[in-house]
Amino acid sequence: MSLLTLDRVTKRFGGLTAVNQVTAEIHARDLVGIIGPNGAGKTTLFNLISGFYAPEEGKILFQGRNITGQPPYEISRRGLCRTFQLVKPFGKLSVLENVMIGALSHLKRVGEARREALKIIEFCHLEAFRDMPAKSLPTGLRKRLEVARALATRPRLLLLDEVMSGLNPTELQEMIHLLRHLHEEGITLLVIEHIMAVIMQLCQRILVLHHGEKIAEGTPIEISRNPRVIDAYLGEELNLA
Amino acid sequence: MDIFFQLLTTSLLLGGIYALMSVGLTLIFGVMRVVNFAHGEFIMLGMYLAFWGFTLYHLDPYVILLFSIPLFLAIGFLLYGMVMRGIIAASHNVQIFTTVGLSIALQNLALVLWTGDFRFVRLDYSKTVFRFWRSYVNLPQLIAFAIAAVLMLTLFALLRWTHFGKVVRATAQDREAAILMGIDPDRIHRLTFAMGITCAGVAGVLVSPLYSVYPTAGLQFVLIAYVVVVLGGLGNMIGALLGSLIVAGVEVMGSFLLGTAWKEVLYFLVFLLVLIFRPAGLLGQRGAETLGA
Amino acid sequence: MQTKPPFRLRLLPYGPGLIYFGMIALTPWVIRDAYFLDTLILILLWGALAGAWNVAGGYAGQVSLGHAAFFGLGAYCAVLSTVFWDFSPWLGMLLGAVLSTLAGLVIGYLSNRLRGPYFALATIAFAQMLLIVFSRWRAVTMGSEGLPVPFRTGLINFGFTTKPPWLFLALGFALLVYAVSVFLERSRLGYQLAGVREDEDAAQALGIPTRRLKVIAVVLSAFLTSICGTFWAQYIGFVDPFYVFSVDLSVRFALMAIIGGVGTALGPFFGSLLITSLESYLRATLSGVQSGLTGIYLIIYGGLLIIVVRFLPQGLAVWLAQRLRKGGKRGVTADA
Repeated sequence: MSLLTLDRVTKRFGGLTAVNQVTAEIHARDLVGIIGPNGAGKTTLFNLISGFYAPEEGKILFQGRNITGQPPYEISRRGLCRTFQLVKPFGKLSVLENVMIGALSHLKRVGEARREALKIIEFCHLEAFRDMPAKSLPTGLRKRLEVARALATRPRLLLLDEVMSGLNPTELQEMIHLLRHLHEEGITLLVIEHIMAVIMQLCQRILVLHHGEKIAEGTPIEISRNPRVIDAYLGEELNLA
Repeated sequence: MDIFFQLLTTSLLLGGIYALMSVGLTLIFGVMRVVNFAHGEFIMLGMYLAFWGFTLYHLDPYVILLFSIPLFLAIGFLLYGMVMRGIIAASHNVQIFTTVGLSIALQNLALVLWTGDFRFVRLDYSKTVFRFWRSYVNLPQLIAFAIAAVLMLTLFALLRWTHFGKVVRATAQDREAAILMGIDPDRIHRLTFAMGITCAGVAGVLVSPLYSVYPTAGLQFVLIAYVVVVLGGLGNMIGALLGSLIVAGVEVMGSFLLGTAWKEVLYFLVFLLVLIFRPAGLLGQRGAETLGA
Repeated sequence: MQTKPPFRLRLLPYGPGLIYFGMIALTPWVIRDAYFLDTLILILLWGALAGAWNVAGGYAGQVSLGHAAFFGLGAYCAVLSTVFWDFSPWLGMLLGAVLSTLAGLVIGYLSNRLRGPYFALATIAFAQMLLIVFSRWRAVTMGSEGLPVPFRTGLINFGFTTKPPWLFLALGFALLVYAVSVFLERSRLGYQLAGVREDEDAAQALGIPTRRLKVIAVVLSAFLTSICGTFWAQYIGFVDPFYVFSVDLSVRFALMAIIGGVGTALGPFFGSLLITSLESYLRATLSGVQSGLTGIYLIIYGGLLIIVVRFLPQGLAVWLAQRLRKGGKRGVTADA
């Protein structure tokens, strides 16, 4: 059964059509990547799916339910969580408190949330920074915190918006490792990325957006050979590994 | 029909004064993105300056005006360095409470120095009224309007046609871009803040013959100024002019129709309605209020 | 798996609070001076008001400069219900609380439409409108001269002839506000509010209904402020619209909370202790002729506000605690 269905989703800002009739299906336990040149509408699509924007046309179904136009917090409660391209940590709160707030989305008691948050912090290798204020963390760790916090909401589907950007090679490997681990744990991942090498390595399937439209969908190999995709990137080299 | 002209004239005169008080507030917000909650205190200080100049040295407020300008500019530079510079990049709360703290400090400074007694600037011609076309005009009010108008025209001309004015407007529109163009935002902020509070101080000097002077006298005016600048759009100078005339008009009409007791309710009602339905103001950018900037 | 530490240790973070309230509670047996007890009552009352403000301003991050609206409603409802309908002031307090809750809903709605200084300005305007209405509506409120509060003795009449009962009642109100604050710090609601305060979008993405929570915080804050307004009216005995709805009063609540510390339950009470005690002392020692000099402490506090909000955003209480010992604070904390 399809976990997430996008049915001709369209978003317009005045005269600009940011997302145009995008249709796609994500199944449980998928690891799907979304790529496209800057301004292709990737983040807008995430905003639509997660409820921060409402589409002008089209439907979005999650676990069979129509979530089109629902507020973000409700969608999050249903098990669809997203991270932000420009990370949004709760700066003055500690790493632990950040993750606890994620856990409190589905847990009622603070004590339980604390225990759960500690587990997740361990899973994401953030124990050393547990009590540090989030704003004191460098970019790489902030990105990891962003993922950890989203993970704490026990999502079925996780939308990750460029969690790799700004990371050095070591951090990159750690993040890839983390995402693979998450996928193995059974979480469905939908990942926006710019770093081709990573996407190709990580994802089973890739959606390509350009000017708000889905211009291609397929395996990494199929995508790298797709003339429309190559055209969209204007000759940018697509490496397989 | 005469009543109509009287109301119109009074609105215009009042509007001019309100404009001078508000223009500084909107200028400071436009360039520094800070709401100066202490703005009323500078009006109050101007009033006291006029009072003491008049009482101790028998100087006409309009003479005091001449050296109030450099005085307030100096105060502005000083306060900018001491207090304002550090909060430009800070959070809203820091900005709000820094200027609120300044307001408290200034009000109580006046209280300590000059006591809470109500003071008055009683000029020989304070009560002089003369016939102007089809309405009656109070002389000090007319002079205040005239001088305020001249000052504001000068300010507008400065902002519109001089290089300095362009630099200020550039900084207001996009601080980062201005920096890239070689503009020193700190210098512009300092000058703008000084100019802004000078407008308030001068307005205080001008209205001293018309209102009683006491430490919290600034409050009544700054509340009006808030309404004016929100109505016109925070940061918008023309908006401040427009807003002043509207608020003055509402106040005069309200006073006429409902009596002086209830006129203030009217413009606060206008204020709340604007904040609910069009918070960016008549000429402001839509959505500015949700960013708080 | 962590085991719960022994009861004594779990009580440790409450140590300062126990000392603060405990010492005040014991005072009537030690000190009989009416003026001193009066100061304590005021410290508790202003502390409660600052704490009430803090629920919206500190924990939820909705900075209001119009809380006097709720205070005034509480004060007026108490006195008017006694004057007009011969109700017990407690019923008046309930009425005031209901009205303030409604007003809180309006302000809460505005908090979802406006940010930062725009919201602050809206709250100022709201309180000012109430000021004008109550000061002009002669038929109901006897107008701008203010209204004396009918004094009858007994708990049901919210009136006492000696100070100690007032002190214990004030303690009750203060402890209520303190308990609510502690609950907010350590509860799920408190953590979620902290998220709303730090970053609304991120909070939304984590399943937090931000708009609803903001309104809840404002309404709660309004309720608490209102009941304290009733206490104040009954204690002081006179309700003057130009005071109870004033901007100065609203600012005072915020001032005490920020200087004391918006992040903790005890912070506002600490701020009240600092400010009210100094104010009381100055009022006592400076005679009428020098009354202008009492303004000096406010100049200092204005300056202190500027310094604290920028350099010590956690407030003086926490700053001092941090300097005295390595704090082991449980619960989520906030900054101004």
